[in-house]
Amino acid sequence: MRAPKLLFFAILLMVTVVLAQQPVPRQTGVLRLRVRVKADDSAPLRGLSRKRFFLIPGTIEQNRVLIDAIERQALLSRDCYYQKIGASSALINWLRESDCESVYCRGVEQEFVSGPKAVPEFATAFATSQKEYGNDETARQWLTTNLAPNVRDGFYRTQQTVLQTLLKQAGPEVHSVMTDRNGTAYFTDLGPGTYVLSNLIPTELGQTFVTWNCEVQVKPGDLATEKPYLVSNRKDRNVKCVGIEKPKPVCATD
Amino acid sequence: MCHGLTRMTRIKTFTVFLFFFLICVHPRLSAADYSKFSHATQKHQAACNTCHKIPTKNAPTFPDIKDYPDHDACVSCHRPQFFKGAKPVICSVCHSKTSPRDEARYAFRNPASKLQFTIEFPHDRHQDVIAMLRFSHAQQNYYNCTVCHASRTTTFKAAPADHSSCFNCHWKAQQPVATNCNGCHKLATPYVPITDPTRISIKFMHEGGGEKKQHIAECTTCHINITKAASLRGLKPDVPITGCTECHNKEGLRQDLNTELVAIDKNRNFTCVYCHAPNVGSLDPPASHYLIAERPALKRKDIK
Repeated sequence: MRAPKLLFFAILLMVTVVLAQQPVPRQTGVLRLRVRVKADDSAPLRGLSRKRFFLIPGTIEQNRVLIDAIERQALLSRDCYYQKIGASSALINWLRESDCESVYCRGVEQEFVSGPKAVPEFATAFATSQKEYGNDETARQWLTTNLAPNVRDGFYRTQQTVLQTLLKQAGPEVHSVMTDRNGTAYFTDLGPGTYVLSNLIPTELGQTFVTWNCEVQVKPGDLATEKPYLVSNRKDRNVKCVGIEKPKPVCATD
Repeated sequence: MCHGLTRMTRIKTFTVFLFFFLICVHPRLSAADYSKFSHATQKHQAACNTCHKIPTKNAPTFPDIKDYPDHDACVSCHRPQFFKGAKPVICSVCHSKTSPRDEARYAFRNPASKLQFTIEFPHDRHQDVIAMLRFSHAQQNYYNCTVCHASRTTTFKAAPADHSSCFNCHWKAQQPVATNCNGCHKLATPYVPITDPTRISIKFMHEGGGEKKQHIAECTTCHINITKAASLRGLKPDVPITGCTECHNKEGLRQDLNTELVAIDKNRNFTCVYCHAPNVGSLDPPASHYLIAERPALKRKDIK
């Protein structure tokens, strides 16, 4: 009489163990971001392209220390950085033209190597590359290999140092994506819950810096197919996250 | 007594067999195969430039590593194998003909051999650096995915197969530089590379999208996970269905998804052909397709 009972409990135990080991399907959500900004009041509303956004788990209150650090960081514009290292105004304009953080963001065309539009830093690097690589086309395409490190990507690396410090503070579960040309980006595989959407490093926009830190709710199974999560630097009834703007500081003249 | 003799005979037979095995067979099993070169061999794991000269002499258009190491790299340790017989087997690692009068070598790297390294490439960092930020006055005047991924066919983009799209920035100064091979090449268990990516929607064409060629968009518009990929490990160029249905299942525009789901409702053997080849189109549509169509998911077997 005891044996069948024992057998029953043994089977029950085995079934329980097997079921406990089955992975529970995790329902994840998607956050579709749409970032539309105005460079100034007279400018049209446009998609903010090629800007990285971060999604940090927790509420604003839970991330208060991090948000304070984001808001307290020293503001350094690209122009001020390049002025400070003594870059030519031609290089500063070349970077500004396509809103580049480093010289890698676009190819260096011949007109910027020689002629009236020439950037002195590029011309010098091109001459060195010609001697080294013995081929004009390679010399132009490989020009960045002969630029001084701070000219090449000093501003980008400065930004990255700040970013990595903030990311360390934010913890290991941070998601990040970059907006496309239209200012759209998708955060996928998000566990349901509350997050803080942030750009961590203030974005240069016209004469201001914009910082976004907003609380976002992600629901399980949310495919974000209907309305995107609209982010802007201007208030509007559809905008769910409005950035805080600060005027660009004047470049130090030392 | 008889039983004892039989046992002795067995032991002797086994000992003789073991002796012959050890002197004849075993050395052959354990001998190194000098026709194959492995970077995984302990003694082959010195600094890369111990053997590989950077750049090699035969790089045609830009400084590159386009050839096998010189003989010195092998002879320094493998002198006995190098001068063994008229056709030393070790030569066949690099040379297509094993003859002192023929220098012909395989292409570098030999496409017939398995890959011994995987590539470490952080898409996220490269997206941050090479792609333009924010507004552009000259929309196309910036680096983007096509710097490395040129068009191979109308269906697929090509993956970089040489150093041309790396060394223009990483030749020197910017790490990982050309001499730091390990910065990108990570030793792995030898494997045969996948040349054709898996494509679920085989009929999609990157240069398609009607007369207006509306498929020509920024890559990350559809390949939404690329900008967050810090490694190539597990990277899939996945495109969610929303990337398609923004145009292909929109009221007043097109109803390509809805049309085919309705066709399955009417005939469970219907094969979806608008995007898929029959091998995919005859399967159950995934739940994501039904979600977009705002319908409960169905299995073909449950349709009467």
